[in-house]
Amino acid sequence: MLRAMTDRDFLWLAEFFFVASGAVTWLRWRIREAAGSLHRANYLAMLTGFLLQTAFLYLRGLAVGRCPLTNAFETTAFVAWGATLFYLLIGPTYRVSFLGAFTAPVVLGINAIALFFLNDTPHLALKHSPWVDFHAAIGILAAGGFALAAVVAGMYLRQERQLKSHRPARTFFLLPAIEHLEVISARLVTVGFLLLTVGMLGGVIAHHKVGPWTPGKTAWSVAVWLAFGGMLAARRAGRLRGRRWARLVIALFVWMLVTFWLVGLAPEPLQP
Amino acid sequence: MNLLVIGLNHRTAPVEVRERLAIARSRLGDASRELRETTGLQEAAVLSTCNRVEVYGLTADADAASRAARQFLAVPPHHLYELRDRECVQHLWEVVCGLDSMVLGETEILGQVKDAYAAAHAAGATGPVLNRLFQKAFAAAKHIRTTTAIARGATSVGNVAVDLAEKIFRDLAPCTVMVVGTGEISETTAKALRRRGVGGILVCSRSPDRAREFAAQMGGQAISYNDWPEHFPLVDIVITATGAPHPIVTADKLRPLLTHRRRPLFLIDISVPRNVEAACGDLEDVFLYDIDDLQQIAQNNLAAREREIANCRRLLADRLARFEQWFTQRYPA
Repeated sequence: MLRAMTDRDFLWLAEFFFVASGAVTWLRWRIREAAGSLHRANYLAMLTGFLLQTAFLYLRGLAVGRCPLTNAFETTAFVAWGATLFYLLIGPTYRVSFLGAFTAPVVLGINAIALFFLNDTPHLALKHSPWVDFHAAIGILAAGGFALAAVVAGMYLRQERQLKSHRPARTFFLLPAIEHLEVISARLVTVGFLLLTVGMLGGVIAHHKVGPWTPGKTAWSVAVWLAFGGMLAARRAGRLRGRRWARLVIALFVWMLVTFWLVGLAPEPLQP
Repeated sequence: MNLLVIGLNHRTAPVEVRERLAIARSRLGDASRELRETTGLQEAAVLSTCNRVEVYGLTADADAASRAARQFLAVPPHHLYELRDRECVQHLWEVVCGLDSMVLGETEILGQVKDAYAAAHAAGATGPVLNRLFQKAFAAAKHIRTTTAIARGATSVGNVAVDLAEKIFRDLAPCTVMVVGTGEISETTAKALRRRGVGGILVCSRSPDRAREFAAQMGGQAISYNDWPEHFPLVDIVITATGAPHPIVTADKLRPLLTHRRRPLFLIDISVPRNVEAACGDLEDVFLYDIDDLQQIAQNNLAAREREIANCRRLLADRLARFEQWFTQRYPA
């Protein structure tokens, strides 16, 4: 049966597990009974979804003969994979309760956009080079870090709103302290920014190896780098924190994703 | 064979009666052994807390054991309740789960029952039935606490403030609390924060002696009442409880102090009239709670705990049935 499955089927199957993760969270929310085992079930569903995403990327990589970042569909699915990877690493490390509940819908949504709306025709115009793969993969992994930072920022805003409203709901007890959430989102943005920087350096090397700049993507990459770098600099200077930080993290991630798709839609020679 | 509990609690007896009957923790083992030797109970354990005194036993003659236990307790009969077999087991399990406590869902009772059982066991007063009864009770309590919301959310003003602080700050250890004005609620709130690990406490009061005394109790530092605005930028949590007839902390005063802060500010205003202008709560990264907010949250938490009682009883029912089955197999009717 597995042999009959296409690579896209694996992504659909991954979506099923992200829905299951959401359902487990809902159950945990509703009945509270056996919360510990449901928490494990939630994490296992996310892990299974991640493995299926990995299977999709592996099969697609074999099919296109390079890192599967040849069109907007693959790239978007790669961003979702990166966000899931960061969740699997960050969740147990920081013991962030309920992070899975916020991550699953975001990953589900990003993959759904890819599956339903984005062009899935492999675009192999660029010459193949390991440096191109390195540049693209690291850059997209950075986007995964930004995605999870946005998820954590969403948790911050939810918790902050409950604190401000003086009416704590049940999620109040499940979510961590706002200060903790802010620190985690800042660290994720920092990791994402460092990865983006490394990816861009890889892009410079790729340019020397295989040739021409793609001006649209280059300008977009520099804009994203400046935006996140500027945000980190403002935070370091003490000018950006709390609610404004959280809102900006989410806004920048959404802006980055939307503009990336727009750049991808642009006519040659802007797209790779 | 019958299981039996006879006792009194905060609902059946006033504190004057309970304090007369209370047994010191160090005497619980002797009391259990004495109870077993003098009442004909085959197994016995005495539980004594500030809110209840109860004797648990296993007997072949429940009526005779009941009379003897009532003599042992020596209080007017209308203060006492008596439960047997299934009701006895259910009662103990609800006690350890905090369902029968004055503060619903409180967790201190579990430790008190564990101490009472350990003392009775060490004194040789318990046997296989009470050992199993208490061990199963502790396991049930753990299960109930981890899988229901019976112990979730504080039900006192001081602990609500601590809960909120823990949802604002990542770690309370580096936090400094400033208490402006001393009073009973500010004292309990500061103590609750101290117990949860806040690093420093600054106390200022119009009465320097009172400030010093309060600070000494808390392991904090007294500062002059007029100097509190100077210390304001250094603190993370402020408890205001002065008798001032107007706000002493206003948004206009606070705004410039926030420009260089890198952490949230938690303002707990427990004074009436309020000492902190309501507009301060609209400032970014400032979380302002007055006494009504805290009391409302405490009441909501208590109501939420009350809604959990049925859920707890449902979860206990299965375990109760299993214990009953074990008991009936051991002692067929």
